[in-house]
This record gives sequence, C-alpha cells and structure tokens, in this order.
Amino acid sequence: MELLDRYLQAVKKHLPNKRQDDIIAELRANLEAQLEDKEAELGRGLNHQEAEEWLKSLGHPMLMAAKYQPMQYLIGPGIFPIYWYVLRLVLLWGSVMYALVSAVIVPLTTHDATRIVGAVFAWPGVLLTMATWVTLIFVVVELVARNNPGKIPQFDGITKDWQPSTLPPLEKEQAPGTKARSYVAAVAEVVFGFLALAWLLLIPKHPFLLMGPGIAVVNALPYQLAPVWTEFYWCILALCIIQLGWQCISLVTDNWRGPRVAYNIVTKVLGLIPLGLLLTTPDHLLFVLKNPGADMERYGKTLFSINEGTHWGLTVVGVIVVLQLIWDVVQAVLAARRRDWKPLNQSPVK
Amino acid sequence: MTVAENLFENLRLELRRGCLALAVLAQLRQEHYGYTLRKALADRGLAIDESTLYPLLRRLETQGLLVSEWREEEKRNKRFYRLSRDGEQMLSQLLQEWTELNESIGTILENSKTL
Repeated sequence: MELLDRYLQAVKKHLPNKRQDDIIAELRANLEAQLEDKEAELGRGLNHQEAEEWLKSLGHPMLMAAKYQPMQYLIGPGIFPIYWYVLRLVLLWGSVMYALVSAVIVPLTTHDATRIVGAVFAWPGVLLTMATWVTLIFVVVELVARNNPGKIPQFDGITKDWQPSTLPPLEKEQAPGTKARSYVAAVAEVVFGFLALAWLLLIPKHPFLLMGPGIAVVNALPYQLAPVWTEFYWCILALCIIQLGWQCISLVTDNWRGPRVAYNIVTKVLGLIPLGLLLTTPDHLLFVLKNPGADMERYGKTLFSINEGTHWGLTVVGVIVVLQLIWDVVQAVLAARRRDWKPLNQSPVK
Repeated sequence: MTVAENLFENLRLELRRGCLALAVLAQLRQEHYGYTLRKALADRGLAIDESTLYPLLRRLETQGLLVSEWREEEKRNKRFYRLSRDGEQMLSQLLQEWTELNESIGTILENSKTL
C-alpha cells in the first residue's frame, strides 16, 4: 500500500540512523499484519479514506518515531532543582551587580541622560545572557554526568547523606498584622534603590529628569530655587545612600525577612532632617527672584505668597511625618511588649 | 477537553504506564511478535496503541528483559519477542510488588467503606 510506504518513510526520517532500518522493518511487518487482518475482516482492500483513517490512528510519523527514542532532556530531573536554584540566584545577584555598576559607572562616565535609559533597557538582555550561560553550563554538566555515571560527584545537600540538622533555622515569627517580605522583593528594592540613586545623581546636570518638559516653563519664570535647596538635595542623597546601604547589609547578612521597624523609624527620623532644613529657612525664603533688582516690585508679593504657601505645605507634611513616626514607635513598643509577654501565655510543648 | 477530563487522562496514563510493562512481560512468557502480542493483550482487555507497544518492546529488550529474533512466518519476516532469564526474575519481582500493591489498595478501599 503506497500510503503505508509513505507513512513508514516519514517515520524513518525521524529515527536514529543506526536503528532506523531495523525499526522500520519491524514496524512494517506489524502494520502489514494488522492491515491483512483488517482486509480479511472487510473481505476487500481498504479504500483510500479507510487507509487514511487507519494511518491517522497510528499517530503522526514524528510522534511515532519519537516513542522509539530514549527520553530526551537537556537538564535531567536529578540536576534540575539545583539548576533552578542557581539560575534564580544568578539572576537576582546579577541584577544587583548590574544596577550597582550602572548606578556608579554611568553617572561618572557620561552626563547623557539617554545612557541611563539605555542601561535600564539593556537589563533584560543582560538577564537573558546570564540565563543562557547558566543553562549551557548545566547542559554540559548533565551531558558529562549522563555519559560518565558514577564519576561525577553528587551535589552537596541533595545526596542521601544530607543531615536534617543542616536545614536553616525557623524564620522569625512575624508580628501580627505585618507581612513577611519575599527575597525577590528585597532584591528588587535594592535594584530600584540603585536606579533611584543614579537618577538623583543625574538631576543636577539634567533637571529635565525631575521636571520633564515642564523645565522649559520653570526656566521662563522669574523665580529660582533658594540656596537651601542645594543642602536639601545633599541631605536627600545621603538619606538615599544610607537606606541603600542598610538594604544591602540586610540582604548580605540574611536579615531581609520580616518587618523593618528599626529601618522605618530611623529613615523617618533622618527624613525629618531635610524637611527641618526647609522649614527653618530664615524668612521662609525657599524661592528667590532671578533678578531681584528688576523684578522685586513686580513679583515681590507673588514671591512672598509662594514662599509662605510652600512653608505651610511643608509644615503639614512635617506634622504628618512626625505623627507617622510616633505611630511607628508606639507600634514597635507594643509589639516588643507582646513578645515579652508571649512565653508566659504559651503552653509548654509536649 | 475540560480541565477535569485532562487531569483524569493524565492520571490514567500515569496509572497505566507501569502496568503496561508488567502486562507485556507477563504476556511474553509466551513468544509473540508485535502485532499478535497487541491482539493478545487486547483480547484480555488491555488495548495498547501501536505507538506505545512497539517502542516499549524495544526498550524492554534494550534493558535485557526480552530477547528477540527475526524469523520468517507466513512468508514474511517478523521479529519475535520472549521473556529473557533476567526478564523472568524481574517479572516475578514485579508481580510480587503488584500483588502487595493490589492488596493494599483493596484494604484501603475496604476500610474507607466501613468509615
């Protein structure tokens, strides 16, 4: 039957060279015997449609051939959990390193704002490259392990010799109402922290990054920022660096889990410094005229209103931050008291 | 196919996979070539696709559990399979396992009926 020959020919093309003739001869013998039975049952040969239906029921030639192949995989189940673990580690730490290098090198080597955008857009490509290399390495490990059974040492930690006592300690109990942070969230915070730092560093040279197209309007105004804003900027930069350093240390020392009461309180206290700087400016002079001699008469009153309005706005913000700080401190004290009381309320473990 | 049907199909295939090898080994205590083996199994209520059975025979032979030879029958060359000595030992071990498993499942089902 021509259709059967064509089917076998198609199967043969997907079989390994060494065994294809033998497999096809056997498959032919079996299928021809089956065909003879079918024809004997019908008392005639199969017509084209019946032959098509029969061959279709055998499955696509590629699938039929695939069943003769040993199970194929690039990374086997023995190595896959380690591969997955390493891949996640590499991607996370690779992202941190990339953000770090970009945040330091890009502002130092160029003042072109598009470079930082380029660095952000290059990030997925960097991740893809890292993932490809990790995958390739594990594919090679799998191939070597498969071809040299018993010669490749087992990875520590997943062998039969693992010790339950080597498992990590129980994670700290979370205070009620607080949510544990994930490792991904902790790393993402660091990555975005570095990006924010790079953004902050670029602002003095490129105010466009802060104001966008609105910078043209600002340039056209007769007002400009008072010198106190320079001190404010350096305070914010220092605060950002402190936060980032804290986050990095938490990550490296494995203290990234759980709520960060101390971190929140400290950053809020430090955040009051730049705010206080603005609020204590003599005569609330937050904005000044570019040409005081020429414009004072015309814009003096408006300038006074702007400065007073901004001062009161900042005062409201300051009050909110102080109230939040008091709330955080009270919550922290209450949580500490609950922790102190807990052992007394708990029944002993039986 | 609904999600439930798909899940059932996956679990059914998983359940059958191990049983098929056992059935083939058991049936090949008597010599067969591919097609007659398939018919014999189907006659006993265990239908297997060609694309599953023929490769399975090859795999079991590669594992040393079957032996095969090409022989002419009814003017056609056919590859006949039968159980090897290792295959016989493996079959008895697997049957032992099967029996125990079957009894355990039976006991579990009996217990769940009385609950």
